[in-house]
Amino acid sequence: MPEAQQPKLLGARVKRVEDPRFLTGRARYVDDIVRPRMLHAAFVRSTIAHAEITGVDSTAAAAHPGVRAVMDGRQMAERALPIVCNSLVPSWQETRYPALAADRVRFVGEAVAAVVADDRYVAEDASELVLVDYAPLPAVASIAEAIADGAPRLHDGWEDNFFVKRHFVGGDPDRAFAEAAGTLQLDLRSNRHSGIPLETRGCIAEYDDAEETLTLWTATQIPHLVRTGLADVLQMPENRIRVIAPDVGGGYGIKGHLFPEEIAVCVLAMEVGRPVKWIEDRREHLLASIHAREHEHRLEVAYTEDGTVLGLRARVYVDCGAYSVYPWTSTMDTGMALGILPGPYRIRHYECEAYSVTTNKCPLGPYRGVSRPAACFSIERAMDEVARATGLDPFEVRRRNLVRPDEFPYQSVTGLVYDSGSFHEALEEVCRQADLDGMRAEQERARAEGRLLGIGFACYTEQTAHTTNEFIKRGVPIIFGYDTATVRMDPSGKVAVYVSTHSHGQGHETTYAQIVADQLGLGLGDVKVFFGDTASAPYGHGTFASRSAVLAGGASHRAAGKVREMLVDFAAHELEADAADMELGDGEAFVRGAPGRGVKIADLARWAYHRPERLPPGMEPVIEAVASYDADPGTGTFANAAHLTLVEVDPDTGGVDLLRYAVVEDCGRMINPLVVDGQVHGGVAQGIGGALLEELVYDENAQLTTTTFLDYRLPGATDIPRISVSHLETLSPFTIEGIKGMGEGGAIAPGPALASAVEDALRPLGQVFVNELPLTPERVRRFAEQAGAAGR
Amino acid sequence: MSTRREIRLTVNGAEHAVTVPPRKLLADCLRDDLGLTGTHVGCEQGVCGACTILLDGEPIRSCLMFAVQAQGAELETIESLARSADDLHPVQRAFWEKHGLQCGFCTPGMVLTAKALLESTPDPSEDEIREAIAGNICRCTGYVFVVDAIKAAAEARADA
Repeated sequence: MPEAQQPKLLGARVKRVEDPRFLTGRARYVDDIVRPRMLHAAFVRSTIAHAEITGVDSTAAAAHPGVRAVMDGRQMAERALPIVCNSLVPSWQETRYPALAADRVRFVGEAVAAVVADDRYVAEDASELVLVDYAPLPAVASIAEAIADGAPRLHDGWEDNFFVKRHFVGGDPDRAFAEAAGTLQLDLRSNRHSGIPLETRGCIAEYDDAEETLTLWTATQIPHLVRTGLADVLQMPENRIRVIAPDVGGGYGIKGHLFPEEIAVCVLAMEVGRPVKWIEDRREHLLASIHAREHEHRLEVAYTEDGTVLGLRARVYVDCGAYSVYPWTSTMDTGMALGILPGPYRIRHYECEAYSVTTNKCPLGPYRGVSRPAACFSIERAMDEVARATGLDPFEVRRRNLVRPDEFPYQSVTGLVYDSGSFHEALEEVCRQADLDGMRAEQERARAEGRLLGIGFACYTEQTAHTTNEFIKRGVPIIFGYDTATVRMDPSGKVAVYVSTHSHGQGHETTYAQIVADQLGLGLGDVKVFFGDTASAPYGHGTFASRSAVLAGGASHRAAGKVREMLVDFAAHELEADAADMELGDGEAFVRGAPGRGVKIADLARWAYHRPERLPPGMEPVIEAVASYDADPGTGTFANAAHLTLVEVDPDTGGVDLLRYAVVEDCGRMINPLVVDGQVHGGVAQGIGGALLEELVYDENAQLTTTTFLDYRLPGATDIPRISVSHLETLSPFTIEGIKGMGEGGAIAPGPALASAVEDALRPLGQVFVNELPLTPERVRRFAEQAGAAGR
Repeated sequence: MSTRREIRLTVNGAEHAVTVPPRKLLADCLRDDLGLTGTHVGCEQGVCGACTILLDGEPIRSCLMFAVQAQGAELETIESLARSADDLHPVQRAFWEKHGLQCGFCTPGMVLTAKALLESTPDPSEDEIREAIAGNICRCTGYVFVVDAIKAAAEARADA
């Protein structure tokens, strides 16, 4: 076969083809869809964190005008199995997460009943008439309470409150600590926050009794996995279920789950024999969707006089809330933290204990970066502390510990294979780009005026496009190592690409089209990408874990490659040329070096379907291919970045003003730099939100106190600085075109970078260790007071 | 809610008669009764700005107003600006060129806020732009390219 054409679109900064429908208000999100005779659901949710349900009285609600059905947990239990998502790790303990709680509630906001009515206003009125009797049980509101001796148990049959306990030892940590010039012990805490897409969750279920088919329109990142999960809990044949994810208004991992409400809405639609819509409100979203990021780490660090980190011991607790989530289990954050805590640094001796803890809080699940923001916070704060302990520059300590360019592919102490990277170059480049020396001079001048400016660094490497072997190692029940694509040419010679990933901001309609158009010698406008419908896309996993560009992009590349072979063979047959001499370009198949000797791709397509007698012997009139892609050798590919920030802290108000924020990132070959920049900006903004503003606060009774956008602060345009981004392109040796994943990365480093900067800013007052995020005004004031006390 | 009111709304230059309960939010009325689903609802308490429309040319939160209160006003939703890629408003075109949107959920409200800004302040500074859109939360873009888009739209407007 001839080589592929020189890429024309791959790498080009083209604007997105999907934008006009969003710009004109013509996009179709789930709440924009109306079905004939559609009804509306509202949920009754637990007001108590932990209780037995002793009675549900739906009489008044059912009698309310306009109400068509009321269902409680006992009725639901007869119609759907609970969500069970079990890890294969030996210490695992199982939870059963019902669509509606029947006997017991385990967090505030858990759904206990549902009302279906003619409109949403009436459904909400009636939901207030459902009377639920609770017999309260002691609530477990924190990791400390969950692991205390004699702690109340959340789940029957459990021997403690751990979903899972893991222990890892690599190298010889005991010897590393014995030989160290010094050791440090650090306690770090990342508080609970979440992805908070601007579009809340929502779905519409419709059951066709004659066809015995169920259709669910839902705001999800993972339509096929939702279909499989529904088939399991509803005990329906999967070929009778169609899941459609229309336009989705942001996901960030939060919409990558099968939710109890999706199951309940399906059951309700089957019950009433009419389509049922449920659109979550913001309070429900904050209470009962998916939370993230709640980690407590204790780190011990062994270092030498020259600032080399010899060894690391870590104890990781993650507050995973009340239930294991589908399809991830409650092991994702602990498994990821355990594996990646040493980060981009050459740490050969490492021990980690990791515990996923159950509490009476909203379930915890993946959110952009999954665990790595907390892991990066730990290791980066450790680097700063080693710098302080040894009197070295924090830049220099990082430089001495980063994996060196000649060490790739580098196998980490936990067995991860860092395929390639630019760890040193990224750090040096970000200092150059952001003018570190200039920043330091500015800091000095400001300090002379009594203003508190601080500089913070953070580096990370991010495993992306996790492939089959990686998920097998983690013990998850579903191995999400590959994804799939169908490339189909129609008789006009235009191309439809069907993928199992879902694009909700990532620009796949453009980037996959860039890949496929190049393969087939076509223009961007000749290729249209479709996704989100299980009836048309091949089976696959969806969009999460910075995987889509590599895996579904790779699958699109491979499927297009197969179509390309068909076109080349057909063209060679038509032109009586050797297939090896054929090229595709500008809509034509032609003989290399003989531009006059060619045939239009549109003609080949037309003939293939309408004049099949022209096809070469044995070729079928199907210009179409399906392919999957799982990057060899199955260890994923690692992106990396360095972040540098300059902040000003007001010790009186606790305010943190971001003066500068710079990123140098490396995601291998960029398919579309415009999209990459946008993803980095968005990730950094979410990281800044989690570092300074956003926190889901539970009180001692496990009542969530942040249930509106007045209590839960999202960053606005005046909170986020102009983020500067530049790129290095170290190609992955393991992936098609050397592409690495990058969707999550921006969100990983802002926490540690800002913690480092705030601590540096406070230094003239005295030394503190900034060990907790987010740095809300209250916490910054507390750190400033501690610094002042230490400085006196 | 048995009492319903017949009201007349002027939306995007056309008058519509609708019958709604007095408690129906303007945002829900635009979406459910008029099918103008470009107006999005993100928080129902006036914080996120996704439901922003123009009322007599001024950006307002359509989730903080009842439909019955909007009688007599000129309402403008995103659907009024363009039907397709071919007739985009300069602000829409700039958002497209500069990658000022990702998931698109905040985009209609953001575009209308920007349009109103440029009509009152044709040459805004970056700070003025950020202040103007501070009530429109975007969870995807980090605002960098949104700000660039509004600057570009201002420049395009000046050149026109």
